Amino acid sequence: MKFDLDLPAWKWPFYVMRHPFEGYDDLRWKKGYNMKVAWVIVIMFFIISVASAQLTGFLFNNTYVKVFNIVPYFSSSVILFITWVVGNWSLCTLFDGEGTMKNIFCVSAYALVPYLFSEVIIIIASNFLLRTEGGFIAFFRYLGIVWSVVLMISAMKTVHQYSLPKTIAAMFFTVVAMAIILFLAVLLLTLFQQVFVFVYSVYTELMYRFSI
Amino acid sequence: MPLMKKLAAAFLTAAVCVTALGVTASADEPYTGYNYDWWGDPIPSQNGFVVDKVIDGSDLGLDLLDYGEGLKEDALKQLQGLSEPSDMFVDQNTGKFYIVDSKNNRLIVTDSTFSPDATQVIKELKYSHEFPESQSIIKKTTFSSPRGVYVRTNSDGVKLIYVADSDNDRVVAFNEDLEIAMEYTRPSKDVYDDKTTYKPNKVVVDSAFNVYVIVPSITQGSLQFSADGQFNGYYGANRVEATAEVIAQQFWKLIYTREQIIAMRRSVAMEISNLDIDKEGFIYTVTENKSAETDVLKKLNPAGTNIFKNLGYDDMTFGDFATRYYKGHNYASAITDVDIDEEGNIYLLDFTTGRVFQYTDECDLLFIFGTKGPQQTQGTQKGTFLSVSAVETYKGKVYVVDSRKNSITIFKQTEFGAIVQNAISLFNEGLYDEAKEPWEEVLRRDANYWLAYIGLGNAYLNQNEYGTAMDYFYRTSRAGYNRAFKSFRIEFIRANFTWMLIIVLGIIVLLIAWSYVRKYLKKKKAASKGGSDK
Repeated sequence: MKFDLDLPAWKWPFYVMRHPFEGYDDLRWKKGYNMKVAWVIVIMFFIISVASAQLTGFLFNNTYVKVFNIVPYFSSSVILFITWVVGNWSLCTLFDGEGTMKNIFCVSAYALVPYLFSEVIIIIASNFLLRTEGGFIAFFRYLGIVWSVVLMISAMKTVHQYSLPKTIAAMFFTVVAMAIILFLAVLLLTLFQQVFVFVYSVYTELMYRFSI
Repeated sequence: MPLMKKLAAAFLTAAVCVTALGVTASADEPYTGYNYDWWGDPIPSQNGFVVDKVIDGSDLGLDLLDYGEGLKEDALKQLQGLSEPSDMFVDQNTGKFYIVDSKNNRLIVTDSTFSPDATQVIKELKYSHEFPESQSIIKKTTFSSPRGVYVRTNSDGVKLIYVADSDNDRVVAFNEDLEIAMEYTRPSKDVYDDKTTYKPNKVVVDSAFNVYVIVPSITQGSLQFSADGQFNGYYGANRVEATAEVIAQQFWKLIYTREQIIAMRRSVAMEISNLDIDKEGFIYTVTENKSAETDVLKKLNPAGTNIFKNLGYDDMTFGDFATRYYKGHNYASAITDVDIDEEGNIYLLDFTTGRVFQYTDECDLLFIFGTKGPQQTQGTQKGTFLSVSAVETYKGKVYVVDSRKNSITIFKQTEFGAIVQNAISLFNEGLYDEAKEPWEEVLRRDANYWLAYIGLGNAYLNQNEYGTAMDYFYRTSRAGYNRAFKSFRIEFIRANFTWMLIIVLGIIVLLIAWSYVRKYLKKKKAASKGGSDK
């Protein structure tokens, strides 16, 4: 009964969270990948990062809220996550990784769950705690981050069937790949902007010529 | 319909009249008061100080004095006014003003009327019987580029005037009969580097008649002399800022040889540029360096320890917050002078912008006033400066000396400034409830004045209205909010303890019940499953 792994899709994130070491093997064996669940987690990631800026108690909140702009929160959660998945996939496909894009997306999203839990706890607790009790908040923050990182390593190791050193190297180079992707994206954006401006100025010039 | 039109016209006329009235009532200061909000952004505020009048050499009657024959026109003109005044001291007991007229090598004594009758010019001193000329190293009875002045009366009622006589390499102390009582000259070779110059720039004297001398380019702090002219050592040095360069040097020192370490560029603390003593005898120092981020203002006890350090003010940004770059110039604040008034307020003078920053004794920014004038107008507009050199206060007025305008600008407190000052005095005496009304008046006049929110927060905290106090402390003071919230939380738990206990117990009971139900359901399911298998 205890090893009954015919779990519904939504239970898998919690299962891997509670079994950081063999959880992902079970997930792989049972093919518990589910994009819907993964997307819900990623969207929760976005919502919680906004909530953390807006709802954290005054004593622990350092956000500049005179002007609230949602774009930085979106790019530092959803876009960052997608870049991670794309970067990891493009790197590990070249280095004998077994994970498909969908698999990487799912396991990475599942690994975020402890971090999200810790953030929710922090948001709630920060409204009840005094400054002197800030240690609890730091504790939960580090706990969430460490747990998620451990899960992420486990996830990458399993999904690509790597050894531990290779996993850590792959994760490091994924971060490098992410930096390159973001750099290229910004470059492309600026170039296209300039092309657009060029085309637009040619268009206006022509319009002036023909209107007279 | 015509009625509607008429009404609309009447309404519009009224609106125009009202707006026009508002325009005519505005003040004509060359600067707009501002303050910094919770996020460190500058926000407009009411002026706390406005220009009263500007005093120059002719107001003091310097042009009426006889300077003898045979002077060139330029030289005479220079003598007939102030020329590069670099320091001023106000004796709070007698109300006498001492102005150092540096380029004219003289000291001008006057009072708060600044009238020719009250003005006395000190150019020539004489050696007294107790300190004959034979004992003196310098042997000069005139000043040469004096740059600082301080006055202190001893227990016998003898008033001593200390002048940092820069080019004569001495600080000279003389009494009101102009008899030199003591000279504070270059310390001996053993304790003071031979190659370093000794050009005293500023001087203060504590109640024990220890003399603190600031010499430019000395980074170990101010030179402390005892009353008899003995050099005691350095006092009040700044810390070395932990910049990336300093940290890198620490690393290289581990590897380098002795010779290499000696050849290294030494990281030294920034020199202190000016000081002042408050009523209780604490010495305040300022650092006039645009890149200084720590120890810009220090409050030193007699042992030389910075009291602000324990309060967390030593790393505070004094002066303007953000460094502005405009047309190739760096507009970071450079605090050139400090003054402490009778109420304990701190006035910092910013050389870069010509602004005076008024702080409370707890380093809360109150008002910013004064400004640097454009070069074209040569600072002719009242309240603008070219090159500020000293700030002093006397009976609620602020005096700023400009060494290029050769004038003294007097600022008086506005009605708004007086209300704020009154509220702070009441607050400092612990009369929080009495301070409530002036603080509310402040908020009626300037809803952005953040110190008023803290004052009101404290008033409500004192009345045990924690919720209201929290509202006032929100985004104005974390420490205050923390205190209010602590009491609020205790009160909340006390008031609602029964309910909270019932809810918690209820949840526990429900959980236990649910686990029983689940077990029962599973058993039933298993039983039915087993039944069907058979």
